[in-house]
Amino acid sequence: MAEDIAIVAFAQTPCYRKYNDSEPSMILGLVNQIVEEVEIDRHEIDFTIAGSCDYLTGRAFAFIANVDGYGAWPPVYESHVEMDGAWALFEAFVRLQMGDIDSALIVSSGKSSPGAPREIFPLQTDPYVGAPLGLDPVSVAGLQARALLDSGKATERDFAEVVSRSRRDGLSNPFAQVAKDVSVDTLLKEPYYCSPLRKHDLPPISDGASAMLIARGKRARELCERPVWIRGIDHRIESHHLGLRDLTDSPSTRIAARNLGLDAGSLDVAELCVRYSPEEIVLRQALALGDGTRINPSGGPLCGHPVMTSGLTRVGEVARRIRNGEAARGLGHATSGPALQQNLLCVLEGDA
Amino acid sequence: MLAAKHAYPRRWPESTKRGTGPDKILPPPVADSSLLSQQGVVIMAEFPISFTLEYPYTRTLGPVIGPFLTALRDGRILGIRCGDRVLCPPMEFDPDTGETLRPDLVEVGPSGTVENWTWVAEPSRKHPFQEPFAFAQVKLDGADTTMTHAVKAVGQAAMSTGMRVRAQFREERTGSIGDVYFVPEDDARDQSIAPGEGEVEISTHLISLTYDDTLYPHAARYAQGLLDGKFIGQRISGDKIAIPGKGYDALARVMLTEADDVELATTGTVLSYTVLTPVKYRGQTETEPYLSATIILDGAGQSLTQQDIRNIPLDEFRVGMRLRAIFKPAAERRVDDVDNDWMYPSIGDVVERWEPTGEPDVALDELPESM
Repeated sequence: MAEDIAIVAFAQTPCYRKYNDSEPSMILGLVNQIVEEVEIDRHEIDFTIAGSCDYLTGRAFAFIANVDGYGAWPPVYESHVEMDGAWALFEAFVRLQMGDIDSALIVSSGKSSPGAPREIFPLQTDPYVGAPLGLDPVSVAGLQARALLDSGKATERDFAEVVSRSRRDGLSNPFAQVAKDVSVDTLLKEPYYCSPLRKHDLPPISDGASAMLIARGKRARELCERPVWIRGIDHRIESHHLGLRDLTDSPSTRIAARNLGLDAGSLDVAELCVRYSPEEIVLRQALALGDGTRINPSGGPLCGHPVMTSGLTRVGEVARRIRNGEAARGLGHATSGPALQQNLLCVLEGDA
Repeated sequence: MLAAKHAYPRRWPESTKRGTGPDKILPPPVADSSLLSQQGVVIMAEFPISFTLEYPYTRTLGPVIGPFLTALRDGRILGIRCGDRVLCPPMEFDPDTGETLRPDLVEVGPSGTVENWTWVAEPSRKHPFQEPFAFAQVKLDGADTTMTHAVKAVGQAAMSTGMRVRAQFREERTGSIGDVYFVPEDDARDQSIAPGEGEVEISTHLISLTYDDTLYPHAARYAQGLLDGKFIGQRISGDKIAIPGKGYDALARVMLTEADDVELATTGTVLSYTVLTPVKYRGQTETEPYLSATIILDGAGQSLTQQDIRNIPLDEFRVGMRLRAIFKPAAERRVDDVDNDWMYPSIGDVVERWEPTGEPDVALDELPESM
């Protein structure tokens, strides 16, 4: 049985179309915010781990510069994943299970504004038969959308409903980059971009960062009044060959949910890393989420998608809602790769 | 500690109405539905910077992808037997069990059925076509899995799930996945492909990505200073002056502003140097040995590295020597290589030469400290 580990603080920057300053400067502000909130000395943090991607800004070893943001003096015990911060959270969670340290800081940051994401992300695909074609996540999302339509599992109106609801919810999220009250009918009049997807089915290009402090049981209670407990965290991946996947389903999500013993009916809230509107439909079905679960009250990545932070921010958004009493139990989801290739689930709960 | 006004907000911001959460250092979010546009936060673009990152990848292909790409070069498409299935594109392993597959390759296609497609209205520079086209999952005749590839069709209306397409091979083939593309069967033309020589065993893939950014505010002020013939640093912890500044103080953990900018002297002291003796290599333009010096400006907490010295004889150069920067005429100063990346700082091309001031040398045990 895993030891109880809780989220004790979470902070995020707004999502920007372009943040005209450095990635470390974003991180520095968030780490300060967390340290001040929990009233500890930064040196009391036992372990730090960051998630970021050098390709986004095109800077070799950009993740080294980011160390400035969480501070390397006195020397810190740190690690890095070239993945969304949610996977850094996973590593931190595993690291705390060893029992010799009590707290971990997770940092995630990404600036997509200087580069061309549609040209960068094909590099995630197979280097022989995918990347040389420039096979990009937007096009693959278009394929996923078409597969859903052809299978009868969704309609274009379903996609538009996800967008309309998400962008409206974004209006109450101070960190949202794109938020608007727009009707489904209006959305459906827009031209196709990667048919059957329209531009509004895509996430904005964003810069941003988020950070989280987690701690083991006793330490968590010392650090905050309302720890949010991580009841389970798991991630699974599918083939890198689209031809071997059923794009209308997410077996990796279902396996992760099964491993966690997830009872979808018990979830008050789920923050899903929906980058393209069809992904929400796939995830709802794979997780068997019902009407009792509020999905993406923050608006989700459709309202702001700083790559490498969107997953950690989903977990943080759920924690925030449990902490302020809006929800008792929730699910944070993160994803990586085209068309939900890899999925991470994190179940959170407040004190009973 | 510097003034707390630079610090970020103290509290975990609650989800309240727009614009009230973040500190004012961070500009407020902007409602904008034109997602891929440049709309959004207005930024100063006085110093645009652009660079291209390139990694030329060379990969060996192995016993399955090698023959697959060799066949593409020769106008044929191969799949691999995996139990009672044929996988195309072929893989080295059974995707269900991970078992190594015997390279039992069979020809598939050249026609197939579109199982799934999307119309790419605005292709990227990396796509196989620069005019609108479809990405499709094509199940080639004789294969049991789909290959994701490009279909060139007159328009979206020409595409449908279940339609028949046929492979077309490009005139110039290199043994890569881009040697082939697909067209609606009715548009296909017969091709006579002469096989190439030898096996394709290596693939080359040049990753070339262009980035467009602007100098961050503190870097822009530093660059403007250089153009004005000034060295602008930023005051940080321990009353030190960083040059160039980072826009924040990593030790005090505060953001810095224009108020923290400090103009440094144009005089300094040699902390270290090396003599570079040019060796011949492709692109080498140097012929004579020259000096590369590390110089700390008076008052600075951080040295300027890799300052070329051409005007002082090698045997007269010394650690501790006092130098003054003589700037180029204003019209000739360039800051093209000044960048946001402080790990490899540059002072641009603004200094004509470092000239001895004639002052006595600084004793070795009295040299200033450099961060």
